[in-house]
Amino acid sequence: MPSEKAIKMNRIIKAIWVFNWFNSCGFTELIPVVGSRWDMERFGMIITPTPRHADVLFIAGYQTWKSLERAKRVYEQMAEPRVVLGLGACTMSGGMYWDSYNTVKRLSDYLPVTMYIPGCPPRPEAVFEACVKIFQHVKELK
Amino acid sequence: MASKEEVFLEKVSSKFEVEGKIQRERRIWLSTDKVNLIPLCTWLKGEGFIHLSALSVTDWLEEGKYEVTYHLWSYEDRILVTVKTKIDRENPVIDSVVSLWDANAQAHEREMHELFGIKFEGNPNLTPLFLENWEGPPPFRKDFNWREYVKEKYYHKDDDTERVYYD
Repeated sequence: MPSEKAIKMNRIIKAIWVFNWFNSCGFTELIPVVGSRWDMERFGMIITPTPRHADVLFIAGYQTWKSLERAKRVYEQMAEPRVVLGLGACTMSGGMYWDSYNTVKRLSDYLPVTMYIPGCPPRPEAVFEACVKIFQHVKELK
Repeated sequence: MASKEEVFLEKVSSKFEVEGKIQRERRIWLSTDKVNLIPLCTWLKGEGFIHLSALSVTDWLEEGKYEVTYHLWSYEDRILVTVKTKIDRENPVIDSVVSLWDANAQAHEREMHELFGIKFEGNPNLTPLFLENWEGPPPFRKDFNWREYVKEKYYHKDDDTERVYYD
């Protein structure tokens, strides 16, 4: 039996609004999550076109030096509390671009990444697990 | 009867000092010196080669040369002419063709400048196109050891998970 507070939190918690920042193959890997087969909206994730409304910043694929500067600007525009998700092997270790001179190898060296979702590409289930963890995180905040 | 490629090669050889070769149907290679490049290109443009479809560079490391290659297409003759010029690798300076092909050449020259360090004299804007805050040497040079560069810039020897890159 969940506590009264938890029930209350469940009632008032809002959907998480996601801002997508995708490089390279990033978006194609997330399309199944957005599409009708898995449908991210039923899990309470909504894509927003502006970082100022976003709770979550989805970063998928490797960042080049040029795109990293833009990613930082996007991050700075988001309101607190904010969560950064790194999607795929490339954000964690550079992936297959581990020896490329122009891509960032470990995203958390440059941005405060809350959670990495491993995989190349990650399964939609892994993305939803991350989503559930964000909800837990929100509940623990209060 | 001479083919249109042979006719064209005859014409260009009589006007300029070029080494021409018919590669195959509708493909012609022309090698020329740096000094002849701009007159040749000007003449070619007048002949209908209005489309500069690509500008590329080859790094001949042993020879100490860069080879700058211009691919030109004529919509009337339906011929792709490839103009090749070798320039010194250590001091790569060449005249810009921006005055001829304008924006078409601009982006290509800008890219080749950042990737190979070639200076195109007469190009008004050679600022970096893809590489921002780049401190290393031009990355497409063959003597640029990018694996060493990556180790130095991104990886830490004292990190357990990254020590494998040093073994």
